[in-house]
Amino acid sequence: MNDYEVPEGLYYTKEHEWVKLEGGNCRIGVSDYAQKSLHEVVFVDLPKVGARVVRSQSLGSVESVKAVADVFAPISGEVTEVNAKLADTPELVNQQPYGSGWIAVVKPSNLEAELKNLLDSKSYADFLRTQVK
Amino acid sequence: MLRRTHLYDFHVRKGHMIEFAGFEMPLWYEGTVPECKAVRNSVGIFDTSHMGRALVSGDDSTAFLNYVTTNDVAALEVGRAHYSVMCNENGGIIDDFIVNRLAEKQYLAIPNAGNREKDLSWLRTKATQFKVEIRHVSDEVSMFAVQGPNAQKVLQEMCSEDLSSIPRFGGRNVNLDGIKATITRTGYTGEDGFEVFTWDSPVEQPSKAVTMWNAILDHGKASHIQPCGLGARDVLRLEAGMCLYGHDITESITPLRARLGFVVKLAKSEFIGRDVLAREKADGPKRVRVGLKLLEAGIPRAECDILKGSSVLGKVTSGTFSPTIGQGIAMGYVPREYSKTGERLDINVRGKKLQAEVTGFPFYDTSKYGWQRTQR
Repeated sequence: MNDYEVPEGLYYTKEHEWVKLEGGNCRIGVSDYAQKSLHEVVFVDLPKVGARVVRSQSLGSVESVKAVADVFAPISGEVTEVNAKLADTPELVNQQPYGSGWIAVVKPSNLEAELKNLLDSKSYADFLRTQVK
Repeated sequence: MLRRTHLYDFHVRKGHMIEFAGFEMPLWYEGTVPECKAVRNSVGIFDTSHMGRALVSGDDSTAFLNYVTTNDVAALEVGRAHYSVMCNENGGIIDDFIVNRLAEKQYLAIPNAGNREKDLSWLRTKATQFKVEIRHVSDEVSMFAVQGPNAQKVLQEMCSEDLSSIPRFGGRNVNLDGIKATITRTGYTGEDGFEVFTWDSPVEQPSKAVTMWNAILDHGKASHIQPCGLGARDVLRLEAGMCLYGHDITESITPLRARLGFVVKLAKSEFIGRDVLAREKADGPKRVRVGLKLLEAGIPRAECDILKGSSVLGKVTSGTFSPTIGQGIAMGYVPREYSKTGERLDINVRGKKLQAEVTGFPFYDTSKYGWQRTQR
């Protein structure tokens, strides 16, 4: 998938979120494909620190002028950190989707079981190929 | 099969395409935000050839248009245009459009893209008692909008006629780089600007329209002219407080509810919808269109509920992020008693109740943006 960056070592969902394991926690963001599809992120609706999130349910949204994309929790757990910088600089999601454009950190409640639902970088890149004509 | 305009090849090469009203059109080229900024700060160009062009001519053309539209066509001077609506017998809006008076007995109306066929068939049905000829010339005339504070400068380079003498809603025939065109000082962005009609420019033979488009781009280079897609077009018109047919106005909404009373001339001769509109005007419309500016971060979208406390007053009909003011803005309908400027309401945006304030139109500061800052 040459058009879209898919870094190794992260886990992905078919809804285009990524998960990075950091010690016992999961950092979450949206993939390069997601940010490119939205094109210009002008607003990110962040969850609240302390909120309980459930896998596959919306924890917030990433929005362009004309479109809204839900951010679905890839992992269940409790939000321990959110990227407050996105309130003033939502374009970080476009500029560094896997870096300073991260969305939230979740302390997982059922990591081992739920990790099996996620794709590794190779499987996600394969999946993207099926999505793009 | 989706329809295409003269500029289809350009759009596909440079733009991100979507389907709109049966046409394949560009949503954006560079991006909706930079395109909006180009129009507010310098100049942008839009292909608007998907819209309708209906020529109405004949001895009864003035009487006919005065009967089917609510504005006073008889008061329109030759070479001028006005905004108007066409209503059904219940006062509901069939379409809103600009009517250009090209000659004593010839008019050009510009229906919305999605209403081309509906409008033409309505006009023809109502024309039986009038001596008029109605020609659907949408596919024979190309139409571009050149919008922004530098629009005049760009077009002035292409012709010898003095464009500064054209007032807002005025028009004239010019030669733009040698191509015959009619330009009108009109638009759908809130900025100063022109709409450029190139005659004898059929969509099957696009070269004349393409030449015109490229010539405008060339002359606009120094002003960093930006091709703009439908995304910017929608945001700019919403920032300016203008209605989008099918969203903010429909056949079940009257022009008085939509706060378009300035185009309803009850004192003129009989017209379709007059009785209902006269009664509604006397009683005052029960519900009206308002502008809403969010007081906190978030983006209202069409269909979001508008609330006062826990009671739902109505729905958002258009909403967006405004790149010009950096806030979420919307329009929608509420009972008249909640329509005063400064009224605090809430909008339910994806399950969150966000505070909003009723504001006048346009949403931006008219000393910084919009045609008011450069035109009388």
